Amino acid sequence: MNPHEETISVGGVDVHTWVGGRGAPLLVLHGAGGNRGWTRSMAALGERYTIWAPTHPGFGTSGDAEWMEGIDDLARFYLWFIDVAGLGRPHLLGHSIGGWTAAEMAAMSPAAIDRLVLVAPVGLKPEVGEILDVFYYPPPKLREFTIHDPATIPEWETLFAVPPTPAEQEIALRNREMAARLTWKPYMHNPRLPNFLPRVTNPTLIVWGREDRIVPVVCGEQYRRLLPNATLHVLERCGHLPPIEQPDVYARLVGDFLGGSIPA
Amino acid sequence: MKLYYFSEMPHHEFPDAEGDKYASIRLEFPNRFFDREKAAANYQRYLTEYELADRVGFDGLMINEHHSTPSCVNVGANMTAAILARTTQRAKLLLLGNILPIEDNPVRMAEQIAMADLISGGRVLSGFVRGVGVETWWANANPVHNRERFEECHDLILKCWTEPGPFRWEGRHYHFRHVNPWCLPLQRPHPPIWVPGTASPETAVWAGRLGYTYVPFLVPFDIARELFDFYRQGAAEVGRTVTPDKLGFLICAVTADTRAKALEAGRHFVWRMGPTLRGPAEFFSPPGMRSRAGTQFALKARPRSLANMGYDELVAEHFIIAGTPDEVADRFAHVQRQLGIGHLLLEAQESRMDHPTTMRSIELMGAKVIPTMAGL
Repeated sequence: MNPHEETISVGGVDVHTWVGGRGAPLLVLHGAGGNRGWTRSMAALGERYTIWAPTHPGFGTSGDAEWMEGIDDLARFYLWFIDVAGLGRPHLLGHSIGGWTAAEMAAMSPAAIDRLVLVAPVGLKPEVGEILDVFYYPPPKLREFTIHDPATIPEWETLFAVPPTPAEQEIALRNREMAARLTWKPYMHNPRLPNFLPRVTNPTLIVWGREDRIVPVVCGEQYRRLLPNATLHVLERCGHLPPIEQPDVYARLVGDFLGGSIPA
Repeated sequence: MKLYYFSEMPHHEFPDAEGDKYASIRLEFPNRFFDREKAAANYQRYLTEYELADRVGFDGLMINEHHSTPSCVNVGANMTAAILARTTQRAKLLLLGNILPIEDNPVRMAEQIAMADLISGGRVLSGFVRGVGVETWWANANPVHNRERFEECHDLILKCWTEPGPFRWEGRHYHFRHVNPWCLPLQRPHPPIWVPGTASPETAVWAGRLGYTYVPFLVPFDIARELFDFYRQGAAEVGRTVTPDKLGFLICAVTADTRAKALEAGRHFVWRMGPTLRGPAEFFSPPGMRSRAGTQFALKARPRSLANMGYDELVAEHFIIAGTPDEVADRFAHVQRQLGIGHLLLEAQESRMDHPTTMRSIELMGAKVIPTMAGL
């Protein structure tokens, strides 16, 4: 299926969704920066899986959901999305706040998903260090914290070098506001999530960048300990955006894990 | 026109070079520079100045509140109001104000304001504010809820004051099953409510609709007029006539025995226009705190930051008024004619303006300026 955009209505919220690829369904949940669309790593994963990549309510061009209060609401919403979109029992992948959402979904309904991939997820309070306060910094400063080395990013020109249009600026503002709505307090974590993660026996891959300055790598260790069937893979010379910073390595790793060739 | 005395109770007791090392003196400037002994003495001093302002005939004493900043160490408007309720006799106590969106217990706030009103013999003017972003960080309140919480907190306080308890409150942000405050304001139905504005058209419309006294802070005259138009629009929606006593304006002002002395003292106001407002946009406007309309209006209202204006320009544009009593009386009259307001709020002490200078300014205002305001 060629990558294309659809609108899927869930509970009265119109959800803008990228759909494409071939193979078993893979639901991909984006981070606080928003849905970057059909990027290089998505195209690579699309060779093996049918990707469903919705834009969270309140983000991008999806509908408003000012009634949402936290990531647990978003998690319930996406369990509903799976039903509405008819995805059956998809693999689930989430990055950053999308990773937190995926972890909550798995804890709420482990049988609703097949394999789970968490990419630099927030959601747990680090045992050492802090999750960076992303709302406290101006966006240019935040990008410095987010990316380890711009020189390694093959899509730098298309993703970051072009000045944003007014419409894109408005979307960036909207993304930031919805992210604040969902994650402000407790900041970027759910103190009760550790109690529920042991329920999730699904094979799980956790991916982290060694140089992540947004979410400490120790959180990856914490997820690995709490999830009964998880493996942690740390990418060297990589910051908070593995799908963008190392798209080829990342896509191969994730694709192989979902295909069962990397045991969890 | 009524005059109000206001001090931010600054704590400018550190070398400026130290403050300059940080992105902002708000939030980030470490509190190891807070000088406890000097602060103890300053609180006494600032209260003495307020008390003199009461005795010389100011119509009101304006009290505000900020947090995590040396620009204002009045960290409890209601605490200061409670002190002045006992130590002053005549002036209104204008709380401008309590920061509603960061308040977790509106019932307690309703009680505290009521108690200050009772102790003062019904002199409280109860201002409600949304706060600047810094207070939202300080309280760790979600900025996307700022306006909703402002309105819901306001609604609950009003209900505490006007409807018999016990009752239940279950809103979006506040939940109380047994509301029955045993402390109600002396003024009936409740103290007059005031609302400040700097940029938000929504606030102006809201205040106009409810008939509250609306006070723009330190904006150019044309912006103040535009905000007053929004206010009138709100008032018109409910068929309310807007009289000058519903409109106020805030400026910085000092007087002295000579023009030279006053102009020298007035330079202390530059600190509040620049260094105290320096910092990343996120500090003052975290995500979602302002609506798009508010953001756009703020850009228009401040085509140039006050921080980039020199002292002479700040004086020329009436952000600061400094001169002999006759001169400031003349300038106040000019402001009144420009804006048609009934209340002029004077930020009358700032930065390192010393106690004798401040006291002399208050005395001269009382003796020579306030009497001339009666006819305006």
